Amino acid sequence: MNKNYIFLAALLIILAGGLLFLPEKNNQVQENPENLMWDIAQPTRYVTTDQVAKMIIEKDPLFQLVDVRQNYDYEYFSLPGAYNVPIDSLLTEISDIILDTDDINTILYSDDDIKADQAWVIAKRMGYNNIYVMKGGLNCWIRTIIQPEAPPETAPITDLELYEFRKGASLFFTGAAISVDTDNKQGLKITRKKKETVAEGGC
Amino acid sequence: MHIHELNPKKTLIAFVIFAIVIIAGLITLSGPRLKYKLSAEKTIELVAWDDGYVFPYEIEDVLVGAIDTVIIIDIRNTFDFSRGHIPGAENISAVELLSKENIKRMTKLQKDGYKVLLYGETLLQANGPWMVFRQLGFDNVSALMGGYQYYEIWKDNLADSYADDGYLEGAADFDYADVAANANVTEDDEQKQSLNVTRRKKSTVVEGGC
Repeated sequence: MNKNYIFLAALLIILAGGLLFLPEKNNQVQENPENLMWDIAQPTRYVTTDQVAKMIIEKDPLFQLVDVRQNYDYEYFSLPGAYNVPIDSLLTEISDIILDTDDINTILYSDDDIKADQAWVIAKRMGYNNIYVMKGGLNCWIRTIIQPEAPPETAPITDLELYEFRKGASLFFTGAAISVDTDNKQGLKITRKKKETVAEGGC
Repeated sequence: MHIHELNPKKTLIAFVIFAIVIIAGLITLSGPRLKYKLSAEKTIELVAWDDGYVFPYEIEDVLVGAIDTVIIIDIRNTFDFSRGHIPGAENISAVELLSKENIKRMTKLQKDGYKVLLYGETLLQANGPWMVFRQLGFDNVSALMGGYQYYEIWKDNLADSYADDGYLEGAADFDYADVAANANVTEDDEQKQSLNVTRRKKSTVVEGGC
């Protein structure tokens, strides 16, 4: 009698053991096309340059920037703290390390938003979460943050406040560049000395 | 002794039922309705070439009727569509693009040699749906550069947009490093002295404030 039960139990265990030998092809779960299209239709993946500027200034630890342009463009100019994952190296191990983060929001950017959006679609298909696109890309970054345009004086107060923020952000992001300007070294030294005495003064 | 133990073949019966359930499960295990035909690697190659985008002046031939094998689909919502659209375009909003009927129709269009042109408000809006269709194997689908916004500006003389490049995207408009370095330095060649003075003043202000 018991032999039968043992036989059935053994059979189940052997079959279960067979699972070990299944091919690993389903290891990486890809987003199915319908969900992907649904996500694409939502504009929630876009963040503005103002939001990005604010996060950089406030040193928000919960986000990271990823530059999807080619390496030489990245070397020439990139946003502070950005990683470089060129769009054609999206499926390599290094990009997996950068993109596969559950707690950190990743913001992709390129010259404008087309390349970043393409990278977003591919990353989303590969199942990465918490990925966003900086709307307008670096072109918009220059237009809004680095060279903000003053609104007319009749503009609503929110526009004026936004302009104030952008003006401040512009100084924040370009201030360092001024201090290393070619012929200003004398002035720079003087400024630093002053700062030291301020600290000594007991502030 | 239980009543079911009377049957001498019960082990065999149990085994057969077990096997039938497993086999039936494997057979009826349905895959996803839509499958990617293009691997992720191929998709990266695809976007590297950018050959699925159509220039605005190229649709002139379609609009005057010289080419009749192109179906134009407006992927914006019905409201935007009703406010204005490219003549002859159909309205299928992005979320409905992968519906059963539409996939059936797209398959037929592909078989019959039709080309499908998607457009949104901008190229960006059509970019994602275009990529999904290409990944599903519909290589007859393309997206309109510049989108409806660009078309609306040029609709009266679309052919002339050949000489314009306002629809081009994906390129840098600035020499970023140069612009960023000089953004707040205004006429600094002559004003180096005054710049230093300003800075000194700033630091004394801080001293006073503390």
